[in-house]
Amino acid sequence: MTARPNLPDPADVRRTILKILFEGQASHLGTSMSMVEILIAAYGACDVGAIRRGENGRDRVFVSKGHGAACTYSVMHHFGLLDAATIATYHKNGSELAGHVSHAVPGVEHSTGALGHGLPVAVGAAIGLRSKGFDDALVFCVMGDGEIQEGAVWEALMLAHHQKLNRLIPVVDNNRISSIKATREVINLEPLADRFRGFGFAVHDIDGHDLAALTGAIAAIRAGDKPSVIIANTTKGKGVPFAENQPIWHYRSLNKETYEQAVAALKGDVS
Amino acid sequence: MRGKILNALLARMKTDERLFFLTGDMGINLVEPIEEAFPKRFLNVGIAEQNLIGVAGGLCNMGFLPVVYTISNFLIHRCLEQIRDDVVLHENKVILLGTSAGFDNAPLGPTHHIVDEWGMLKGLPGIDVYATSSVEFAEKALDLAIAREKSAYVRIAKGTPSIPGADGDFHYIEGQPGAPLLVSYGSLVQECLKARQARPELGVLVMNKLHTLDAVKLSSLLAKHERVLVVEDHFPTTGLYSSVCQLAMEQGLSITVQPVAPEGYSLKVGQSSDFYHKLFSLDAAGILDRLAGSPRKG
Repeated sequence: MTARPNLPDPADVRRTILKILFEGQASHLGTSMSMVEILIAAYGACDVGAIRRGENGRDRVFVSKGHGAACTYSVMHHFGLLDAATIATYHKNGSELAGHVSHAVPGVEHSTGALGHGLPVAVGAAIGLRSKGFDDALVFCVMGDGEIQEGAVWEALMLAHHQKLNRLIPVVDNNRISSIKATREVINLEPLADRFRGFGFAVHDIDGHDLAALTGAIAAIRAGDKPSVIIANTTKGKGVPFAENQPIWHYRSLNKETYEQAVAALKGDVS
Repeated sequence: MRGKILNALLARMKTDERLFFLTGDMGINLVEPIEEAFPKRFLNVGIAEQNLIGVAGGLCNMGFLPVVYTISNFLIHRCLEQIRDDVVLHENKVILLGTSAGFDNAPLGPTHHIVDEWGMLKGLPGIDVYATSSVEFAEKALDLAIAREKSAYVRIAKGTPSIPGADGDFHYIEGQPGAPLLVSYGSLVQECLKARQARPELGVLVMNKLHTLDAVKLSSLLAKHERVLVVEDHFPTTGLYSSVCQLAMEQGLSITVQPVAPEGYSLKVGQSSDFYHKLFSLDAAGILDRLAGSPRKG
């Protein structure tokens, strides 16, 4: 894994995630760790200055898997969209940084938490951007693989394809674990790429922890003209050995001992 | 009524570039002029109502004012979570135009009987509900919805009933002092007016706006009557009956309030709304029967 020099180091982002999860005694460690590189690549492809200024024609990142709030806020922090004092309030009384992403936080496009909501909204934003002549603006929508069991996702995909929304980039964080079990044991999504192809999408089926692969896929989509999906194959809990691929770390919060173990594990390269 | 409202919308879209029309594949021979005039502000999302509301939320994110059109049961029930999360929670402003209110789609069966939808919206903060009981109010409902800061739902009944002067949130047809008052909306107002022909002493309160209510103005009218019958094609537990009861309690009114409304679904086939109006005593004869009975339940 090679991080581009202008992008935040995933290990730094993971350290921030662990810190706010521990200090806020919050859950959702597994999902936050799996989507780090995805969000770094997404924000890295955006004009972050335009996001900060709230320009109407800005690129947009919708985090449909709203339970990835700790990751979202940490990535935003490392891109300069969220200051240290604010992110330190994560999951604490009186804060607007709850356990699911909130539009009360400047720079967050949409509050999510009930799954399957983000992609329809992202599609609406993409249609609105095109209607107003912002044809090149990117609209990312990051979803969980468990989330795409929701029917609204496929309603939105059909419309996105019909409307030829080639600047909308749905990204599936394919960590292969749903809420309490492996997705294959709940609703087997395979052959996932073929399912997207069946809906008319070009598919970039890549290693979701490989920043170069992610940025390459985004660049290819940007250069092309076909509605496309990125399947980012990831590991839930990536970088925290005791949490990797363990569904319980969707729910459990870190104590002092597990926090220190997790930080120690991150001292090396997470890959 | 649908055509009048959509024609008004077409006219408003010419001057208000925020307006963006969305349909869930409904409105044949009605929506086409909007598509032809404003192809960049028209979208048929197909038969996918969750997506319909979500896309509207995304258009709000872009600064548009979406106007969403489909049959009311699909518009409210199917996507209540999207209305809550993607519209209300974000304080997004969306105009919901719902058709086929009450028993308008009578023979299509109970899945198409819309007798329980707008009461659900009462539980969400910030959505006003209009019922367009008179054609005189149709365009005004649209303009009020456009002008207000938050979202609105317009419950559109079939037909174009004219009630001269009924162009405000409500319209009071005065009865004799002490006589019962019929409070109603939508197509059932016509049944109330028929009942009043038989008993001219009755007062009739035509409601064009169902939520939120002007408590002060309405309570002053309700207080003129000891007995109030709320006649509606909606379940009373969440409908106007419950709103009037709440208002009477809050304002300390000494009135008796009775529902004349369906209290469950019907699986019987009826070829027109008249069948169900009769079945649930919502027609003029049924209303008069209820008036002849005890003012209290049981």
